[in-house]
Amino acid sequence: MTFDLTLSSSDLLLLAPEIFLTIWLCVVLAVDFTYKQIDHEKLAYLSVGGVIATLINLIWFDYTGVEGALFKDMFVLDGVAIFFKILVLISTALVLLASIDYVKSFKFFRGEYYFLVMMSALGMMFMASAQDLLSVFVTLEFSTFGFYVLVAYLREDQKSSEAGLKFFILGVFAAGLLAYGISLVYGETGTLVFSEMASAPGSIGLAIGFIMIFAALGFKIGAVPFHSWIPDTYQGAPTPVTAFLSIAPKGAALAILIRMFYVALATFKPTWVLLFVVASIVSMTYGNIVAIAQKNIKRLLAYSGIAQIGNVMIGLAAGTKRGSDAILFYLLTYLFANLGAFAVVIGVSNLIKSDEIEDYNGLNRRSPFLAAAMLLFLLSLAGVPPLAGFIGKLYIFVAAIEQELYTLLIVGLINIVISMYYYLVVVKKMYINEPHDPTPLSVSPPLKAVIFVGIAGTLLLGIYPKPFIDWAAAATLMFSNIAAPTASAPAVLTSLAGG
Amino acid sequence: MGQVALLATLFAPFLGSIVLLFIPNRKPLLVRAVAAASAGTALLASLYVFMAYDPDQGGFQFITKWAWSEELGIGFHIGVDGIGAPLVFASAILLFAGIFISWHIKDRTKEFYIFLLILAAATIGVFMSLDLFFLYFFYEMSVLPMYVLLGIWGSHTKGYLSMTDEEGRKLRDSVGFILNFGANSKEYAAMKLTLFLSAGAVFALMGILLIYHFSPVQTFDILVLREVAHFDGTLAIIIWLLVFFGFASIAPIWPLHSWSPVGHAAAPAATSMLHAGVLMKLGHFSIIRVAYEILPETTRELMPIAAVLCVFSILYGGFVAYFAKDTKYVIGYSSSSHMGYVFLGMAALDYISLTGAVIYMFAHALATGMLFAMAGWVYDQTHTRDIPSLGGLVKNMPFLAGAFIIACMASVGMPGTVNFIAEIMIIVGAWEKYPFQVVVAVLGIVLTMAYLFKMMRGLFYGQMSPEYAHARDTSQWVDRLPLLLMIGCSIFFGIFPMHFYNVVRSTVVPMLDRINQVAPLVTQNTTGLLP
Repeated sequence: MTFDLTLSSSDLLLLAPEIFLTIWLCVVLAVDFTYKQIDHEKLAYLSVGGVIATLINLIWFDYTGVEGALFKDMFVLDGVAIFFKILVLISTALVLLASIDYVKSFKFFRGEYYFLVMMSALGMMFMASAQDLLSVFVTLEFSTFGFYVLVAYLREDQKSSEAGLKFFILGVFAAGLLAYGISLVYGETGTLVFSEMASAPGSIGLAIGFIMIFAALGFKIGAVPFHSWIPDTYQGAPTPVTAFLSIAPKGAALAILIRMFYVALATFKPTWVLLFVVASIVSMTYGNIVAIAQKNIKRLLAYSGIAQIGNVMIGLAAGTKRGSDAILFYLLTYLFANLGAFAVVIGVSNLIKSDEIEDYNGLNRRSPFLAAAMLLFLLSLAGVPPLAGFIGKLYIFVAAIEQELYTLLIVGLINIVISMYYYLVVVKKMYINEPHDPTPLSVSPPLKAVIFVGIAGTLLLGIYPKPFIDWAAAATLMFSNIAAPTASAPAVLTSLAGG
Repeated sequence: MGQVALLATLFAPFLGSIVLLFIPNRKPLLVRAVAAASAGTALLASLYVFMAYDPDQGGFQFITKWAWSEELGIGFHIGVDGIGAPLVFASAILLFAGIFISWHIKDRTKEFYIFLLILAAATIGVFMSLDLFFLYFFYEMSVLPMYVLLGIWGSHTKGYLSMTDEEGRKLRDSVGFILNFGANSKEYAAMKLTLFLSAGAVFALMGILLIYHFSPVQTFDILVLREVAHFDGTLAIIIWLLVFFGFASIAPIWPLHSWSPVGHAAAPAATSMLHAGVLMKLGHFSIIRVAYEILPETTRELMPIAAVLCVFSILYGGFVAYFAKDTKYVIGYSSSSHMGYVFLGMAALDYISLTGAVIYMFAHALATGMLFAMAGWVYDQTHTRDIPSLGGLVKNMPFLAGAFIIACMASVGMPGTVNFIAEIMIIVGAWEKYPFQVVVAVLGIVLTMAYLFKMMRGLFYGQMSPEYAHARDTSQWVDRLPLLLMIGCSIFFGIFPMHFYNVVRSTVVPMLDRINQVAPLVTQNTTGLLP
């Protein structure tokens, strides 16, 4: 295998968003170093500007249909990649905006914060384009690297350090698993590129290798049983970082999962469908049941996130184009609802310095805006019409019933009711209970903007989702051929059983 | 024109709630005026829809259809038939009345009206949905505002924290059947109601998804599905049971009723009215819309289940209402009991009884709306719903007492009110098929008389406790208008029921022909319907 690294200008075009963002984040860092006294708010807006410019670039790519692959298919720009890059960048822009007030409480390193967020975002953009196992490993570690620092950013705070350490140790462990899995797969197939693996025969080594890779990616998306870092890390990390962590890396890792299973492992679909059915059922049920007992809003959202990933995996379990469409759309609804909910948490914790659900008592009297926004976001997460989450859930369920996954469907539907309980408990605290301290709360303009974007997205995707559904369906056109499930016996299973 | 009116009925309350968002809470009069204006628009528009519905033509009228997502086969498809039109009208009446009943709410007035308008608009949406997706969409949307309405503006059952039995255990909220493990707080009632109804809804959703998957055309459109989708064997039975029990939990059929009286008791007056008046009918309506339209053969085979369960509903609700001491529990259980009549009318699959059932839904909405409105007024004046401690209020509230008697009479089904027509039709229509149930139903009427008159005597006659001497009557027009509106409608349609009857019958007859296989299931002109 030789690498040909000569690039033409048209090739560079495919990389334009990444190159632009790289330059931009260097600029942000340079400005921070050069002008020591610069108002960090300006730095934040500078970063947001860069992210938005990149976003516009990508939307233009999507509109004009720019596609292609680079570096022997290691880097690919197609509908799915563009979709996930846009997802990552929207969340980055919103997280940056939501951070502005929070960062004021940092004593040091304000400028680097924005740099690190953008660097993680850059890593995740590459993840969305990863088309072979080597680039999967490199990009995954690249993006996680920024997060290791970000999670432990509040270095005076024990919880944050603990969170950082937990995240780091488990993250490195996952990286080890990933590397080992990749080596096994390479040993069995002799290739690292997804599309070339598709024709490989099943074997035990391949199965173990892919299960290890799945475990490493499961760690990123926080699927049970690889979720144990999530609650503590979410609770300890600075809240904007938690918000970022709760959506962007999950999206990027799902991009890899979809590609890997839909392209590289298309022939073994009956086997991995089973894997996802089990993972999905366990994640949904565990996440929702444990969430009931939570007293801290960040932990509650952490467990709700685990359950939401369970929902997303229903789409993977369907293993069809419809399934991948549904995942894309679902992530979009999750982006707005979840980031919005975290924005409210940031707003509240900026003002009352607490994340306990008990302190949300009477929020409606203290700030009707925050309470109403939180109500919308939580109900969207619960899947109540006319909000985005409902359409997302329905889309996923439609994908599941087309494959006649009844068990999964029933578990998913029952989980809606379970999840409604703990979301409504928060609603009860906000609306029904009386506040301990009735002083009104006010929200800063950038945070307000984030919340408004969240509300707009949640309502728009719920009431008029057609353009977004069409977009998701168009982005995954390349998976059209997977719709016909292979009738042959699952090769990996047979090989596992008979040797 | 009819289309516009139908859209106006649906969107006026939504629009009102959006406008309310931008009105500050310190201008309560403006808030109320906006709410009343949007509800009034909906009322007038729905009156037009109801009156303009052409019974000679029948079928679905005033249809609007917009593509919503071709990818999933969903269209925003609304229109009414002879069953939807009166129920839309009833919802609008109760919404309009409810706005005035809650005129004196001081705490977070704006939020109250926003949630009330969303609740009503969503129920109206269900009654006009011709697409399974939107039916479910509005159905689930109507459940959630109930949580907030009950939780914030509701009331606890009197002394709920101290209620214990002889051995010192906490007393349960009601003598219900399933899931009675909480105190009688409004928060508990709200949570129970929401979770119970959502659980029912997801079962129905499962049924809907099965219909979607196994129909030859991947669509949620009811008008297409009823022509092209055929289910038989186990699949049809599973779908039917999911749909029936999923939706019947809101109806509420025994033994899935236990959320309902608790919810009624905790809810503020206007919410109780909408809840008992129209929200419960979502169940019957959705069963008719989904099961009767799409699964006619299975409906014929399995509807006897409803005929069995309705006996328990009628008797159980009636007896509990007789022994209940809380005004709202009495009315709540009476509603549960009366919903059994609707199920009886539906189960008989006879056009007289089904027409009666539909008219009964409308009639019950008005009667129970009046009762809840007045129970709410008495509670606001005396701050108690405990019947034994009340009495003699007629001296202070002559108008209300008079209206209460009329409401009781309407609820019992006195000739001259629309309830009479409905009851007599159910009884006559169901006699041939279910004579035993009809006997029970007649007993139920006697029972209704007993508990309502007992409550009336307890509230308005006898000795008045001096602590309630300050209680005053409804004197302002805003307080009397909603009562007069509901009484007026009840009596008007009781005396002039022919248009109403024709409207309902025009839909019921062809529907029952399909179910009883008088007419072929597949009509010839399906080509135009297919997408």
